[in-house]
Amino acid sequence: MENEQIKELLTELGPRLAEPVPSALGEQIKQRIPHRLARHKISWDTVNIIIDLRLSKSVAAAVIVIAMILLLNIFGGRDSTVGGIVQDGVLLVKYWGGAGKVDLATVRTKYEHLLQRGEDVTWYGGSASPKDGNAVLMHQKSADGKYIVTFADGREREVNSEELVELLARRLQGRAK
Amino acid sequence: MAEQQADLAYLKDEPQELGGSRERLEQKRHSLAARLKAGDRTAAAELVDEYYEQMYLYMRRLGHDRQASEDLTQEIFFNAWHHIGQLKNDKALNSWLYRIAGNVSRLYWRRHKHKEVVGIESIDAPDAGAGESDAFGHYEQLEQLNYAVSRLPEKLRQTVVLHYMQHLTIAEAAEVACIRQGTFKSRLNRALNALRKSVT
Repeated sequence: MENEQIKELLTELGPRLAEPVPSALGEQIKQRIPHRLARHKISWDTVNIIIDLRLSKSVAAAVIVIAMILLLNIFGGRDSTVGGIVQDGVLLVKYWGGAGKVDLATVRTKYEHLLQRGEDVTWYGGSASPKDGNAVLMHQKSADGKYIVTFADGREREVNSEELVELLARRLQGRAK
Repeated sequence: MAEQQADLAYLKDEPQELGGSRERLEQKRHSLAARLKAGDRTAAAELVDEYYEQMYLYMRRLGHDRQASEDLTQEIFFNAWHHIGQLKNDKALNSWLYRIAGNVSRLYWRRHKHKEVVGIESIDAPDAGAGESDAFGHYEQLEQLNYAVSRLPEKLRQTVVLHYMQHLTIAEAAEVACIRQGTFKSRLNRALNALRKSVT
């Protein structure tokens, strides 16, 4: 059979496939006409474009991470320089990627970042053994005169000056052995 | 049956429609779209009067069952009313409405993947009498074609239905399918080839 014959048959088929339309359908639809029809709004166009983009899950996740970093930089009172964002990103990725495992490099990055921000922070990681979870990697002096100590296993603890001295003394004792 | 006759009459009037009356129809649609945008509720009712039968039959020809077709027809109009502001060209009201219908249908298939395509079963059998065997052969061909259309992939089925059953021009149908006219013609050709193999 030729395409022309198929076309003729299709043209004939259309009207033959016109079954009676439910007579009440039109009235049913009309009864549901909203009181106010929607007017044109630019904002809705924007929303629809975003919906139409149909972002993949990974892209959406990346967008959320970037938005979080930007928000942290803007509302956290921190400088939103590119370097800061990159460092925060590295921290975030390392934190999530490591699934709870904090390595020396991560704490070092944090130390460098705090140092750059002008915080009073001291690094001990150069001589600490990463195998010893209780080893002190760094301490940061907080505004209330206390110290935030970061251990090799990723824990952070707020201590007073005496406790800090004790922790550092233990560290020195360990090195002497 | 009255619907069938109306549809057949429409086909016969097609060449005349291409002249001045087609222009008048476009003008009417243009003003209807403008009134809808202005929030005129009577225009919304006119839109229903003019299109609800077309939309219902479009849904049926795309393979939805009766109940689903009724629900989807209602959904098409709700979407049209709520998004009328997004209609850029008032003259394109016809293809815009068909585009909404296509999207509504596609979303329905996505949500109901297990549902089967249901063809319209009411092709009238030929009357008994002279030339009975010829008429019956022709009837069988139409039945085969109807089944073959319902078995086509969704995009090809939509192409055939829009152009041959809903009588949209190539330009209008291509706009509805959001593709170029060349792509639409190529799809149409693929559909015809597939149908040719199915009908003896």
